[in-house]
Parts: sequence; C-alpha cells; structure tokens
Amino acid sequence: MELGTLTREVYIEATPDVVFEVVSSPEHVKQWWPDDARYEPVPGAEGEIVFGDPAAGGTVVSFSVVEVQPPRTFSFRWTHPAGAAAVHGNSLLVTFDLTPSGSGTLLRMTETGFREQGWEAAVLEERYREHTTGWDFFLPRLVSYAADLGARR
Amino acid sequence: MSGTPARQVDDDLWSAIGDPTRRRMLDLLLQDGDGTATTLGQRLPVSRQAVAKHLGVLDRAGLVRGMPQGREKRYRVDEAQLARAIADLSSVGSAWDARLQRIKRIAETIQRTRQA
Repeated sequence: MELGTLTREVYIEATPDVVFEVVSSPEHVKQWWPDDARYEPVPGAEGEIVFGDPAAGGTVVSFSVVEVQPPRTFSFRWTHPAGAAAVHGNSLLVTFDLTPSGSGTLLRMTETGFREQGWEAAVLEERYREHTTGWDFFLPRLVSYAADLGARR
Repeated sequence: MSGTPARQVDDDLWSAIGDPTRRRMLDLLLQDGDGTATTLGQRLPVSRQAVAKHLGVLDRAGLVRGMPQGREKRYRVDEAQLARAIADLSSVGSAWDARLQRIKRIAETIQRTRQA
C-alpha cells in the first residue's frame, strides 16, 4: 500500500474563531460531513462518526481527536478498527491549520494515510450518500472532475 | 470492498456519464425506476433514435441494464455499477473539496449572522 498525502487550501471570509468552531465541534462537523458525529473535541478523546442509519445498513466509523489548539489547529484520526487505538498505519490523519488572512481565515486541510484506506473510506461514505442526495450531491463533483480532466489533457 | 486502485477511471464510463443528455436520462431512470427509448424520448428534446443510441452507450458502460419487452427494451439503472462509477470518478480529493466548500459556506453564514 502506498502512503499518500492530500492537501487543500480554502480562503474563508470568517474569523479563525468561527472557522475553528466549524471544523472541530461535532454539531458543525455533522453539517458538512457525516450524518452524526459523537466525540468530545478534546485531545485523546475517542468517538465515532456515522454515515446513514446504523439500524438500516449505515456505518459507524472510529474517530479519535489528536490535537486541539483553538483557533490554530484541530486534528483527528479516523477509519481505525473499532476499539483499537488510532495510530500511524491503521488510520487516516486529518489536520486543519488556520491562519488569519485579511478579514478572514486561510484554512489548510491535510489528510495523510494509506491511499487504499482513503479510497475505501470514500466509497463507504458515498454508498450511503447516493441514496439520500443522489445527483444533487454528485453532479457538481463530476463536473469539477471533468474540468480537472480537461485541464490535464 | 476490494482493493481496487483509486484512480482507475474507465474511459467508457467517463464518456458515458460525461454527456448531459445521458446524465439526464440516468436521472429520469432513477426517478421513474425504469424506462424505454420511447418513454424517455417523450420526456427529452431528442428523437427516440437518439435516445436508443444513448441507451446503448450507457448499457456498454454497464450503467443500465435492458430487459426485452415487446419490440423494445426496458432499462433500469444498475445501481451497484453507478455507485462504483461515482466512487471511481470522485477521488478522495474531490470529496474533500466538497467538504471544504461546505465548511466555508457554514463559517461565512455564522460570521454574517454574528455581524448583523
């Protein structure tokens, strides 16, 4: 398996305090990612994120908080086997770094882990999303993929 | 879940799904459950013959399956193949792009609310 790192940056017209809240608090996280998020946003906290309805074929994924430094850094590990400690090699590490920029915040996201694991996690998630949001959710992504492909050719 | 590499984007699959008329057809088939070249043709601004051709492309890519019905074929979306296609086409990277766009939208909305 190959180790991969993915980095993304986005400028947000909101203060680092606000952005930090959105990327770290379970109440906000479930608005932009899983259907449910259960963890304490404190270092070392073990929790889980949920895609779909666990009683109806949904899935529960381990989530473990690594670093919490408001309003600068929030990081966590996910996809490790339930009950196992999240370490390098059994999970994906996601780090959010926040830098003040003008009247807003530059948010940088890095995800590190084995590519194969990342892909499986993505498939897992999409399998459940497909039924709830269908093309409204996927089409914009396909279009951006197309633009990507066009740029490379 | 098998260990297929992340970036195996099949050309047939991509060109099948890359066409707006064919995506519209997939939408209609998902919505209605199934359809024939005739029923789809009635709902799209293209001829029945063009629809039949598009269905052929989707069929070859494995995105739809046709069952003979009278002189026509009745098509359904192969949801497993569609899910695979979507998984292949959207890399882990584009999944994060979508999440970050949602983070941006949420944070900016909160900021505006607090300033108001």
